[in-house]
Amino acid sequence: MIDRRTALAGVAAMFGTALYAPLARAAGASGPIVTPVPTISEGPPSAAVFTPVQRAAMTALSERVLPTTDTPGAIAAGVPVYIEKLLADWSYPAERVPILAGLDAIEAKAMADYRVSTAKATPAQQDALLTLAMNGQITGGKTFFEAFRQLVIAGYYTSEIGMTQEREYLPVPGEYDGAFPYSKVNKVYSA
Amino acid sequence: MAVTNRFDAIVIGSGVSGGFAAKELTEKGLRVLMLDRGRMVEHIEGYPYDGKPAYEVPARNQMPKPLMDSDYFIAKHGYVAPSSQQFYNDDRLNPYAFDEGEKFYWIRPGAVGGKSLIWGRWTFRWSADDFAANKREGVDGEWPIGYDDVAPWYSYVEKYIGVSGSRENLPYLPDSEFQPPMDMNVAEKWLKQKLETQFPGRKLIHTRLSNMTEDKPDQNRSKCQFRNQCGNGCSFGAYFSTQAVTLPAARATGRLTLQSDAVVTNLEYDAARKKVTGVRFIDAKTGQAQTVQAGMVFLCASAMASTQILMNSRMAGGGRSHFDTSGTLGRYVMDHIFRVGAEGEIPGMTDMIEFGRRPGGVYVPRFRNLKGDEGVGFRRGYGYQGSARRDPAAPVGFGKDMKHGMRRYGPWKFGMGAFGECLPYADNRVSLHANKVDRFGVPLMRFDVKFRDNELKMMADARIEGEKMLKAAGLTNVRSYEGEHVPGDAIHEMGGARMGMDPRKSVLNGWSQAHDASNLYVTDGAQMASVSCVNPSLTFMALTARAADHAVRTKAWA
Repeated sequence: MIDRRTALAGVAAMFGTALYAPLARAAGASGPIVTPVPTISEGPPSAAVFTPVQRAAMTALSERVLPTTDTPGAIAAGVPVYIEKLLADWSYPAERVPILAGLDAIEAKAMADYRVSTAKATPAQQDALLTLAMNGQITGGKTFFEAFRQLVIAGYYTSEIGMTQEREYLPVPGEYDGAFPYSKVNKVYSA
Repeated sequence: MAVTNRFDAIVIGSGVSGGFAAKELTEKGLRVLMLDRGRMVEHIEGYPYDGKPAYEVPARNQMPKPLMDSDYFIAKHGYVAPSSQQFYNDDRLNPYAFDEGEKFYWIRPGAVGGKSLIWGRWTFRWSADDFAANKREGVDGEWPIGYDDVAPWYSYVEKYIGVSGSRENLPYLPDSEFQPPMDMNVAEKWLKQKLETQFPGRKLIHTRLSNMTEDKPDQNRSKCQFRNQCGNGCSFGAYFSTQAVTLPAARATGRLTLQSDAVVTNLEYDAARKKVTGVRFIDAKTGQAQTVQAGMVFLCASAMASTQILMNSRMAGGGRSHFDTSGTLGRYVMDHIFRVGAEGEIPGMTDMIEFGRRPGGVYVPRFRNLKGDEGVGFRRGYGYQGSARRDPAAPVGFGKDMKHGMRRYGPWKFGMGAFGECLPYADNRVSLHANKVDRFGVPLMRFDVKFRDNELKMMADARIEGEKMLKAAGLTNVRSYEGEHVPGDAIHEMGGARMGMDPRKSVLNGWSQAHDASNLYVTDGAQMASVSCVNPSLTFMALTARAADHAVRTKAWA
């Protein structure tokens, strides 16, 4: 019976540089080689993605995409927090680019047309800005709109408010009915 | 933890096969050590996200792309998510030779229970012709056993684990011992009637699923609750897993020792006696290697991992494996070919939706070449797995109108994908890398496996027929698709240490027992000489129970 380090050192000597990289690390390590499951970052973003102006615009526009109606809207559902967390820690930096560029372009348009920052514009003005973006009448607007709307939708319908208030969530359905009348719920069931 | 006890048998692996081996052998009175390279997961307490909605799972249960690309770049083809992450292999830490040979997705678990925690749970018997086809067609790989040898073991396993499904009396898809099927939804019932009318001889049936529709109180298991969160681990024990079913049974005997984090590197062999003498493994918790002796070994590490362990059990200096007298070890590797399908919209019935989240769906069993060669340009056949569903209406614009519009559902949609049989080829093989080893010193697996003309023609046919069937049934906006066919992607990889009549052409005999060692049984997917087109786990379980019975009757461990 030989211990692991001896065995690995022997293998490393035998195969020299062809040794697979993780093995070289293991051979140099001591003690257990059991490895924990990689953790997914939770809590606040590890770094700010937005400037204060961008964050305010992003927050206001998320609410215009999914506004408060007879159920809470995007802000109450924590969508702006989700978006910043996702862009900071759960995605590649490249995914921020169209969002930041779009927010900046909308901000410039708000200042030009309304002489106020996006976040300070009226809901009607914010809707007009979003419409310009959606229709590609702002540079990078279409790309921004598609990506941003997808982020807002993803964040909203996976939030507690989105899943349990806007939609109906059954933690334990207990049965299956494949011919259930929609009129009994008049909502979408969360997955 | 150093293992010091004496054991009658060592079971390597704890998935559908290993768990069943441990249950059967301990219940028959043997003292068993079960080793698994993965981390420990206990039933219920090891399922941190069971019952949790997306907002209570990290990253809303969407695996962050950077982490997917760094650590789960193979597992991503096996549906890994944050809620199931702890059940999967870390591809960065435990690699194979990804960049050499032919492209192959070796999707592996990383926990006790193996793939039984993450499997698709579709559960089918093979037909008599599935076992007979190789011989009848002159394809290399005659099975030493037939349907009648396995049928009683299918029944035995099905009654124990619980399988839901409908009796159909189809000779090409024998019925199991069924619990009642899960209902089809209204759109699937509509499609069944249309399809079976338009295409006499073709069927659309209930899926056959290891999710139960009746309780098993004697096993502390409840029927499926229609949550469809099976991959998070199921505290109801509603589907078959080692944790819910076979591990409690084995532990109840008081004769099981289970060691997790035990990475088996090779089997020790006495060439003079032609017997396995022990199992060498590295305890990942201490880094210590040790060899444990036992009278018998059940190798159930998964098709490819068992083959790797067998290949790495060899004379010093890298010669041929002790178990490869035939020269067939590592050859005839197969997987179901898939990534072909068809989908479309089912008109009407828009006042109805689904209540409850049903796992599974419906099945269109194989209809090609059932009466021998039908002149369709390829051998064997494929079956389709599908379901009808309604998605929330797509977003239009933004604001209140979009939000309230998304409170409605879109039309009924039906989609189905084909799983096709892959023939056995001698040069579809796996091998140990000549000079790269993993962090435990085991040579990396290299894959030289590819789908060939027969499989690709079959997929082309599955695409055409799928589209034709859905159009003829009256669906609208029908489209078909064909994606990249990568062996391993179906996670039905099989072969590598096949059964056979002739010790010169196979690794195992008809009892899953090694020709080169009568006290070694290999009862997972490695033993398969062909792959049918149906999901394989039930057959592994039946062959494992059968092999355990044989081992005990013949006192193979003594």
